[in-house]
Amino acid sequence: MAEIKTNFIVIDDSELDCFIAEKMIRHTGKCGTVISFNTAAEALEYVKNREVDDDEDCRTVLILDVLMPLMSGFAFVEEFEKLPHSIQDRYFIVALTSSMNRNDMDKIKSYRSVRLLLDKPITSEAISAFIAADKL
Amino acid sequence: MPDKIKVLYIDDELNNLVGFKASFRFSYHVYTAINTTEAVEILSAQQDIRIIFCDQRMPDKTGVEFFEEIRSHFPHPIRILLTAYADIEAVISAINRGHIFRYVKKPWVEADIISAIEEGNKFFMANSMLAVKNDELQKAYNELDKFAYSVSHDIRGPLSGILGAIRVVRHLDDIKDIKEMLYLMENSVKKLDTFILSVHDYYNLQRGELQIKEIDINYLFKDLEDLFRVSITANQISFITKVNQHAAFRCDEMTLKLILNNLIANAVKYQRLNCDQKMVELTANVERTSATFIIKDNGIGIEEKHITEIFNLFYRATSQESGSGFGLYNVKDALLKLNGDIKVSSVVDEGTIFTVTIPSK
Repeated sequence: MAEIKTNFIVIDDSELDCFIAEKMIRHTGKCGTVISFNTAAEALEYVKNREVDDDEDCRTVLILDVLMPLMSGFAFVEEFEKLPHSIQDRYFIVALTSSMNRNDMDKIKSYRSVRLLLDKPITSEAISAFIAADKL
Repeated sequence: MPDKIKVLYIDDELNNLVGFKASFRFSYHVYTAINTTEAVEILSAQQDIRIIFCDQRMPDKTGVEFFEEIRSHFPHPIRILLTAYADIEAVISAINRGHIFRYVKKPWVEADIISAIEEGNKFFMANSMLAVKNDELQKAYNELDKFAYSVSHDIRGPLSGILGAIRVVRHLDDIKDIKEMLYLMENSVKKLDTFILSVHDYYNLQRGELQIKEIDINYLFKDLEDLFRVSITANQISFITKVNQHAAFRCDEMTLKLILNNLIANAVKYQRLNCDQKMVELTANVERTSATFIIKDNGIGIEEKHITEIFNLFYRATSQESGSGFGLYNVKDALLKLNGDIKVSSVVDEGTIFTVTIPSK
């Protein structure tokens, strides 16, 4: 059986950070598609309206920056958790932050749908590690 | 001459009140009350009474009871008890519980009252200074908190970007890709630099003394235009300046520049990218007592719901372009120092007008 590829969505207001995440994801050699969004609002629209093939059983990893202007990572997760479970179940949210603020870190980890919190900058090793660990 | 210290004296014996007033009305502003109800009325009307003398033995309640009662409502005035008896136990316990500052024995001698007022006044002044300092300290703490919070995002953010980019570049072979990464890294470095410059501005504003001098507005505008020439030309923005000066304008040049600099930088930065007639207009109307500066652009505008927040530290109303959320906070702070005022009106996708009014010194 062929290895199952994982799809990725990157949400970060910094173009550079999106770019880095994309490169690091591709570098793992284990990814399918990678899509980046500079605002959480656009990403949310995409997630809401995305047509998903029912046969597709692999989940999409959503790399989410926590501190963004306008719609923050917190606001995104709150909206995300209001979506139907059939949609939520397709995503595996990994929060990403450069913040060293304890409150922020605890808060984002407290959301049911946030599975992991990683420090910036993201590395291929970290991505490979959680893909392997969770057997997505 | 400084204002006389306001003193309130409460006693159920009219003769005492008259005597007190007669003795001290030249040195102090004396209010008298024959009962505690009247005293509360006076305290409510005269918020700046500093010293209250109250007789201990009165028909409706004791002086100590009265002081205990008013303490929460009127915490600032200094409370001094007058007592004719040797109710020393009651007095000691009241002093110990912090209800009264000191007591004066009745019948009083003038010197005791004067010394009580002067000491009380010193205590009052020290307390109010402490309150002011406390407020300042609280403000400084709050800002430090915000600052510490932003350090991780605004300093560590761009740095982690650069670090990540370096790691990515290690895997790249194509010189075109490498150049693209360098371009993105440059933006991160610029962002960090802008942040550090804003921090510098911020501390200069907090600590700096104003240096008031006459400002040549034409020269100032020319200076600002030079400063923005590169970004104006690169983004094909028409930059228009208008000066209507009818009087000399005296102000602190550094602070004024900081204000205009930030507002123009925003006007240049937040343009509609696809607009082919980008415009920034800078107008000065100088009257005898004040100057008005209008910074107008036809850029992306600010959504109504963000307008009240844009002057808050680290608030960002858009993700277009890099910003630290420091600029307008510094502008507001600078205007506070100059006793100036700022108004903003904006329509999304049409543009923004900032109107700054600064009194001439």
